[in-house]
Amino acid sequence: MKEAVKLGDMSRPGRTPLAHLENEDLMRLPPPLEDPSKYHNWTALAPHTREKYECGLDDTCALNLPQPQTKEEEAQLVAKFLSGLEKLFTRENNWTFLQPLLLTMEHCAKCQTCSEACHIYEASGRNELYRPTFRSEVLRRLYFQYVKHGGLLSSLQHGAIQLNWPLVARLAELSYRCNLCRRCAQTCPIGADNGLVAHELRKLFSQEMGIAAKELHDTGSMLQLKAGSSTGMNAEVVKDNIRFIDEDTSEKTGIQVETPWDVEGADILLIHNAGEILAWPENPGAFALILNAAGVKWTLSSELAGYDSINYGLWYDDAQFARVALKHAQAARKLGVRKIVLAECGHAHKALSVIADRVLLGDLSIPRESSMTLLRDIVMSGRLGLDPDRNDFPVTLHDPCNLVRLMGVVEPQREILRKICPRFREMEPHGVDNYCCGGGSGFAIMSGNNFPDWRFHVSGRKKLEQILNAFADCLDPSVPKYLCAPCSNCKGQFRDMLAYYNLWEKNRILYGGLVELIVNAMTDVRPGYIEWEWH
Amino acid sequence: MPVFEVHGRTYDVDEDGFLQEPSVWNQDVAADFATSEGVAELTDAHWKVINYLRNYYLQFGIAPMIRKLCKETGFKLNEIYQLFPSGPAKGACKLAGLPKPTGCV
Repeated sequence: MKEAVKLGDMSRPGRTPLAHLENEDLMRLPPPLEDPSKYHNWTALAPHTREKYECGLDDTCALNLPQPQTKEEEAQLVAKFLSGLEKLFTRENNWTFLQPLLLTMEHCAKCQTCSEACHIYEASGRNELYRPTFRSEVLRRLYFQYVKHGGLLSSLQHGAIQLNWPLVARLAELSYRCNLCRRCAQTCPIGADNGLVAHELRKLFSQEMGIAAKELHDTGSMLQLKAGSSTGMNAEVVKDNIRFIDEDTSEKTGIQVETPWDVEGADILLIHNAGEILAWPENPGAFALILNAAGVKWTLSSELAGYDSINYGLWYDDAQFARVALKHAQAARKLGVRKIVLAECGHAHKALSVIADRVLLGDLSIPRESSMTLLRDIVMSGRLGLDPDRNDFPVTLHDPCNLVRLMGVVEPQREILRKICPRFREMEPHGVDNYCCGGGSGFAIMSGNNFPDWRFHVSGRKKLEQILNAFADCLDPSVPKYLCAPCSNCKGQFRDMLAYYNLWEKNRILYGGLVELIVNAMTDVRPGYIEWEWH
Repeated sequence: MPVFEVHGRTYDVDEDGFLQEPSVWNQDVAADFATSEGVAELTDAHWKVINYLRNYYLQFGIAPMIRKLCKETGFKLNEIYQLFPSGPAKGACKLAGLPKPTGCV
């Protein structure tokens, strides 16, 4: 039996990892993955990574945080951390999230109801390091010691922790071992939010210390603000790609598809996650076909960031978040559209529809709608000829956390599936009680070092169990199965995780979006929109 | 910065093993990187993919859509995987000296 990680271990000098997981430690999976001895072995971190970066937390490394070379440098970094910590708890520096953060700091009853709700904690074999309250308890102790300047009595009441560089370095990595799915917050009887704690820590590290995952910052929000998209596509490239998609879709479906660009006064500005355009072109193709067939007056925008709905700042940096949200709203204002519709991207939904609400004021407060409700209205209106028999294969639905638990968009996508997929079956649990795909909060695009191993073994594990259970009666490869995930980030995680466990090759589990299923059922369209062999 | 060493030559690469400076690429570089991606020998088929990626990158500054790559080269996706076992993004792009694709792709 391994010794459990304790809070005080976070300050342990040196860089020996606090936790190590073996395949046998992990939560068991149902068939065909019931034998842990057959799992992939984890790739070990490369020696140069361990020598150069802070890797003292566990088996992986998300941030490539350089090791300070001197004690002075360490002390400076700790001082910066402290200054950021103080800012987190002042209204002028953190007007966005101060209230729920304080509530979480002051009122957690340590009942651990949240731990049982956390997919990462459960999947890890209940490793203490991944308990949702572990990270929060570190922050809580720092808060009482260094923000409220509690004395001995406070230490006795709230516990003490030693603030040093090893703790700060480990805490930075630990803030990237949470998907920010906030299933813990949903179940908390008091309303404490451990997901928010992980978010606030990431924010402190980014805004105060310039520490963030490079996929989210350097090649994420920074690239988006410079080139127009985190994919690096500028306006010329994205138009060229959409032209290709239009041609491809027309050829495949037998229906002429043309995507409108920069139409002033259109009813709807549709914003895709630009990853769809590059990696899953059948999704924007299907959107264009459906909206045209339904007679919707819509447009795409070629403004900077107007064609890429991603807003990675949501996961790590309020300032970057606001910059991108403003770009989205400005693109819509310039065209004078009636509303913005978010295509199939979960975090973009929450970012622009909900969180940006306090940033977009005056004429930037343009109505935002989910594509789920728009598509439901189109499908239910009878404007499209639909033949459910064309979707006569088992389908299950993944609920993207940002869209479903965190926004409450639960039923529209289900109404569509019930109408067009005769063999639709739910995962358990589902709706607002769903589990994260394991790629949430940016993990799906973080593939440095051996981070994907952690993602597929630990953070994606609970979802994997759900998928296998949903298809337990039809795992045989003679039956093709469709995992519907209306979110680019979730799809990226599923693509990689299904391949990792060989579930397409062996069991014919395919993943894809929602609009593809709609077009696949359209009677005017040549049969076979979903390409099972495109893998 | 990590370094990739092969046949007595060294290349600066990023943490994922992608060539740091795309402009130093030439055909010998592709052959050197092939050894790290499980490609035993570069055939005409490999070069067709690599040259398309390279030319597209020089024109547009990013990697092309995978579907476009397939259509333009005439290879199906599974054939690309047969040529480059770690796939079009991680394998073929690396050999062609492109930076690692970014964003939700």
